[in-house]
Amino acid sequence: MRGATVGHVAAVLAGAGLAASCGGPQSALAPAGSDAATLSHLFYVLLAGAVVLWLAMNGLMLWVWRIDPRPMSPKRARLLIFAGGIVFPTCVLSALLVWGLSIMPDQRAPGEGLRVEVTGEQWWFRVHYWPEGATEPIRSANEIVLPVGARSEITLKADQVIHSFWLPSLAGKTDMIPGRVTRMSMEPTEPGEFRGQCAEFCGDSHAWMAFTAKTMTPEAFDAWLAAEAGPAAPPEGELAEAGRQAFLAQGCGGCHAIRGTPARGRVGPDLTHLASRLSLAAGALPMTEAALARWIANPAAVKPGAKMPAYDHLAPDTIRAMAAYLKGLE
Amino acid sequence: MPARPVRDLPRHRNLFRMIFAPTVWAVHFLLAYATTAIWCAKVGGDVARLAWIVTGYTVLAEALIVWFAVAMWRQWDYMDDFDYVHDGDTDEDRREFLGHAGFMLACLSFVAVIFTALPAWLIGTCA
Repeated sequence: MRGATVGHVAAVLAGAGLAASCGGPQSALAPAGSDAATLSHLFYVLLAGAVVLWLAMNGLMLWVWRIDPRPMSPKRARLLIFAGGIVFPTCVLSALLVWGLSIMPDQRAPGEGLRVEVTGEQWWFRVHYWPEGATEPIRSANEIVLPVGARSEITLKADQVIHSFWLPSLAGKTDMIPGRVTRMSMEPTEPGEFRGQCAEFCGDSHAWMAFTAKTMTPEAFDAWLAAEAGPAAPPEGELAEAGRQAFLAQGCGGCHAIRGTPARGRVGPDLTHLASRLSLAAGALPMTEAALARWIANPAAVKPGAKMPAYDHLAPDTIRAMAAYLKGLE
Repeated sequence: MPARPVRDLPRHRNLFRMIFAPTVWAVHFLLAYATTAIWCAKVGGDVARLAWIVTGYTVLAEALIVWFAVAMWRQWDYMDDFDYVHDGDTDEDRREFLGHAGFMLACLSFVAVIFTALPAWLIGTCA
């Protein structure tokens, strides 16, 4: 009885786990882009083929061992092995190889219009938007925003170590290699919010190196890009103003840029429109004032090895004010 | 005094014949990948001409492999007695064993060379 209960629970958990992996914001099986749809289709065809083969092989074994066990002439047995063990797999593998290779060129089709340059840092993503004809990029970080219905070019770079850029809902993954520029392209088909992550071990906080992505209609995207290119919102209220002053006084601008303020550092992520992003610290924390305060006080407690120093020597009120200011940077 | 052997390396001792086809496969692989790497680094762009070069390698390699497959098929000498048992201790057994193995390796190499060349025909881009 107890064993049966444990079995039921295990089955339900396994089923839930499998079902969960087929959906959500980070699943190659819930595609929202044309490249991901191709990969998902490839997966389902291979899965169906594997199921058919599995049933056929086990059915055959059942047949010859249990249902109709009869001696077979050596000649017939050899023929069976030759046809089923050599010719058939060779044909199936050849067909799959031809199909798989013929899909590959479309996966890297050149983008048109927008180019997004993403640089892998330890452990966050530097994101530069280059609209057509731009001479200066629009700087952002840790979030990719793309228009639906257009194929955007993605240029990939890395600082110090190898990373891998993977946004499974939209496309396959591509390595980011220091000293080299790799590329891919993405063609979102549905508006939505997604999650991607670094898929190549890159140091202490590799597991905390994620990013969020938004896809939106071309009109919404144009409006978003125009807003993203603009300066930061001025602080609203006394607390936020105090936070702004503390931010500048503590030298945060040495590493971070907030356009429209004296903060122009480019070592760390650009914070101009920080609060408009879906997550904080490259997917490690939610975008809330509490999380901002926690991050400022001790980044390495959230992300081991994070290069930003801890500011836990500041008064809690000062940290709270800085968090309020940053949360206002929509 | 024993009679002087007709060949230095009679077929029942010659392992090089058996591995000839896989060697062609290896050389074809090396040439195809090295040419592609150099082409994409130095020339880029026009991959159609690269595909023709790889096709040339492939036709040459397959011709050599087919030629050797025929030679190994003859050495196996299957059709005389439909004999695929090679565990005797005679020269004939050893010769036919090497022929049988060489023939199968040639068949494998034939397919493998096509698999190696497929990307050049189907991908059509250096990216």
